[in-house]
Amino acid sequence: MLEVKNLYKSYETAKTRYPVLKGISFHVEKGEFAAVMGASGSGKSTLLNCISCYIPYDKGDILLGEQNLGDLDKEGLAKVRNEKLGFVFQDFMLLDGLTVKENILIPRIIKEKADRKAEEYAERLMEMFGISHIKDKYPADISGGERQRAAVARSLINDPLLILADEPTGNLDSKSSRTVIEAFEKAKQEMDSTILMVTHDSFSASFCDRVILLKDGVIYKELKRVGDQSSFQGYLLDTLKEMNHAD
Amino acid sequence: MRTMRDLEKKLRKLDYHQARLYLFCNFISLMLITAYSIMMLSPTVLEVLPEGGDSRKQMVAIFVLAAVGCTAFTVYATALFFRKKSRQAGILMALGISKKQLAPMLYREILALSFLSSACGILAGIPLVILLWNSFRLLIVDSAQMQLNFRAVCLVIPLIFLTVVIGLACMTAKRYLARTDILDTIQEEHKNEPVKELGRWCGPAGIVILFAGAIAGFEAPMVYMKVVQAYPVWWLNLFYIPVFIGLYMILLHTVVYGWHFRKKHSGIRSNIISYSMMKFQGKQTVNNMLVSTVLTAGACFAIFYIPMLSYSTTSDLKKRPYNYLYHYRADQKGLQRTEVEELASEYGLSLKDWHEADYINLGMDGITDVGGGESGDKIEYQYEQLVFEGKFFSESGFRELTGEEVSVERGSYLAVSNDDETNDHLISTDCTVFTNMDTRKTLSVSFAGRVHYNLLVSDKGYYVLHDADFAEISEGAADEWLGRMHVFNVEGEDDYRFADRFFHLFVESFDESCNISCLYDRVNKIAKNEKGMVYWGDKDNMGSVDFGRINDTDFRLYWEYMPKSVMLEKTDFIRTFSVFLMMFLFIFLICITAACVICYTRCQTIALNNRYVFDDLKKLGAPPVFLKKEIRRQCCIVIRTPAVIGITAMSILYAMILYANDGKLVMSEIIGLGICGLVILGIVLLLYAVYHKTVKILVKELVDIP
Repeated sequence: MLEVKNLYKSYETAKTRYPVLKGISFHVEKGEFAAVMGASGSGKSTLLNCISCYIPYDKGDILLGEQNLGDLDKEGLAKVRNEKLGFVFQDFMLLDGLTVKENILIPRIIKEKADRKAEEYAERLMEMFGISHIKDKYPADISGGERQRAAVARSLINDPLLILADEPTGNLDSKSSRTVIEAFEKAKQEMDSTILMVTHDSFSASFCDRVILLKDGVIYKELKRVGDQSSFQGYLLDTLKEMNHAD
Repeated sequence: MRTMRDLEKKLRKLDYHQARLYLFCNFISLMLITAYSIMMLSPTVLEVLPEGGDSRKQMVAIFVLAAVGCTAFTVYATALFFRKKSRQAGILMALGISKKQLAPMLYREILALSFLSSACGILAGIPLVILLWNSFRLLIVDSAQMQLNFRAVCLVIPLIFLTVVIGLACMTAKRYLARTDILDTIQEEHKNEPVKELGRWCGPAGIVILFAGAIAGFEAPMVYMKVVQAYPVWWLNLFYIPVFIGLYMILLHTVVYGWHFRKKHSGIRSNIISYSMMKFQGKQTVNNMLVSTVLTAGACFAIFYIPMLSYSTTSDLKKRPYNYLYHYRADQKGLQRTEVEELASEYGLSLKDWHEADYINLGMDGITDVGGGESGDKIEYQYEQLVFEGKFFSESGFRELTGEEVSVERGSYLAVSNDDETNDHLISTDCTVFTNMDTRKTLSVSFAGRVHYNLLVSDKGYYVLHDADFAEISEGAADEWLGRMHVFNVEGEDDYRFADRFFHLFVESFDESCNISCLYDRVNKIAKNEKGMVYWGDKDNMGSVDFGRINDTDFRLYWEYMPKSVMLEKTDFIRTFSVFLMMFLFIFLICITAACVICYTRCQTIALNNRYVFDDLKKLGAPPVFLKKEIRRQCCIVIRTPAVIGITAMSILYAMILYANDGKLVMSEIIGLGICGLVILGIVLLLYAVYHKTVKILVKELVDIP
């Protein structure tokens, strides 16, 4: 579904060049719920921004399905963002003046396919994530957890190949975080969605099938989930400790 | 909501809330421009300020400055509107809308907003001008002439301005589209525009450069004339450029370092947050403050004109010993005492203190520029026997007319100046020969001093000769060089109807040969013609006035034989200049509004771009008092600095202009400047209100919202 091959990205200031991603390669399978973790500055946000088509990369390939993102122009990248990717942001990024339902429909409106079927689909997603009762409410009138579940529903409205989630629980309390992670799990189980989540939170990451650990712009280790969630979280925490202490 | 148009409509509804400032700015600018255009192009104003005259040029220049001010604040408001919209656009782009899809939405929206606010502004401009005009009629002067007439052409200017505003709004939209970045929205970051820090020396150096530029610009024409021996050329104005460079450096220093004179190593400045916020938006902040400074200075220039003009006029009229003074050439009918007395009796008035005396216009010698170089464009001073025309009284005539005791020796002359000698530039004190222009008989003279009399001030200058010299030089002079002057008072309260009728009858008593301006010098003309040259006053009727337009400013101010009447001048001067007063009031309103809006939008922009700083400070436990203090500091610098520099610069400039006129500051000028000080107080209060309101809004946006 997603294949990242030998990806390089660096930032330049007037005098210095800072390499951030130093030849990263990995892939995410269809229906997989993967997470990327790492300390600040490890390159995880840059990686997500490259995959999201927000910033260009220096070298390497990003294949989404059959499509190499490096071959696309700005219009093509916008189309990919709309039709093949779904986004969940830390700050929800819902438009304040639109209702929850209208916010969910935006990607479909941009695609110019917001018909009756789309509305029915939006209703189904809202029901699936337990937000039907707030469909006519505005973002300012609902809780953080509800906003983020609305954002998850929005990310799914165009049946994307991949959902990219950037710290989706970063602004939420533990209870709300749990409901959002459950929403991702539901999307995976009931809609066979593929999810790539960047997070600091080992609890959220412990629900994933696989966790990719980044350190200083390279992949330190990939951890596959074995056993139940709590034991995976323990394993994850140990590995993170080990990574942070390693030279 | 199923289509992009549905989404667009829904978002537009929301944007009306965000676009309040843009709508307000557009509305205000179109309203002011429309009102100004209606006033400027109304037949009354066009009659008072004739085509080609200085007054008309001044009015148009003011209008251009006003339009620039309006354009500036509309552009800033547009930019702020788009900045507020950036989150919305960023989210839509993150969700896959392309810039191609976004562009038509934006353009449609900005066009709709512009048309809506502009149309309302144009419509509101009409009642505004009616209100202003009638307020003037009610409060200052009301006469049959003060009619406000509309012409369809008045709307052409607002429509052109509207086109410019829309064009600029579309350009801003295009620029905004090109610069909008998804990551800025997602990461709540904005591209900083830090200024290049030049070092702490830039502020003091800026002050030096500013003053050096002002002096260089002021002195350059004089140096040029001395060195090149030619009249100044337009590019000498470029010497003023350092003024703006210096101003920029001062503002840069203010934004980057501030003007705190602290001891070295005394620790971190307490205002580090507010300075940092401005510093990282420094480029635009400094630019905006520069524009705001110029606009504040423009506003002061305009508003100072009103008290200075009003005070100098009333002060001059109060000093006059006679209510009326008129003179005419001996070859003209003029008005005799009996005629004036009969006219006065028609209005139930009687006259007193009637005095009259004869005068003669003589040729005066002096040093003059005869035009050197191949094309005559170089300055070459040479002594000439016929240079100026002057009006001469005999000792006894002057005494009869003024009641002043004067004594002048034979072979010498006295020059008449006003009490504070501010009109000395109108008299010649180094003449040696006077010439009778008919007989060419000459009289050798020397300057014997000044006699002070406020009423006898004209562009040609008045002089007094010994009775015998006067009789000798007048012999054989034709009537066109001789004249008679009358002065009188009205018993009791004067009547405007009499003054106006007197003026009209007096003008009617002249033939077309007297339609000359007071700047038209017949002696100089003869001297030029005798050399085969054409006198400037004969080119394109430049030296003449129009007897058909006796209510025009140009006629009243420049007719050679314009009578002096306290009642006529008091009433009609205000009427004539009420147009100027209205115009200057308008330019003040426009400039000060533009300056306030620019300062407000800049404070808003800095705050919006730094809202995450406030969020972080809140997270770090900063109390609301601290946050409010930082907001106040920042707003204070953005609003106070242009105000202080603009007001100070214009006050100094005004004082310099008054001083440069005659090399001194007299009491009436000092009082005028004092009145300007009161006006400054009013401006300061207005700016404080803007500052207070801005702080209140920003506190609500940044501190009160959790």
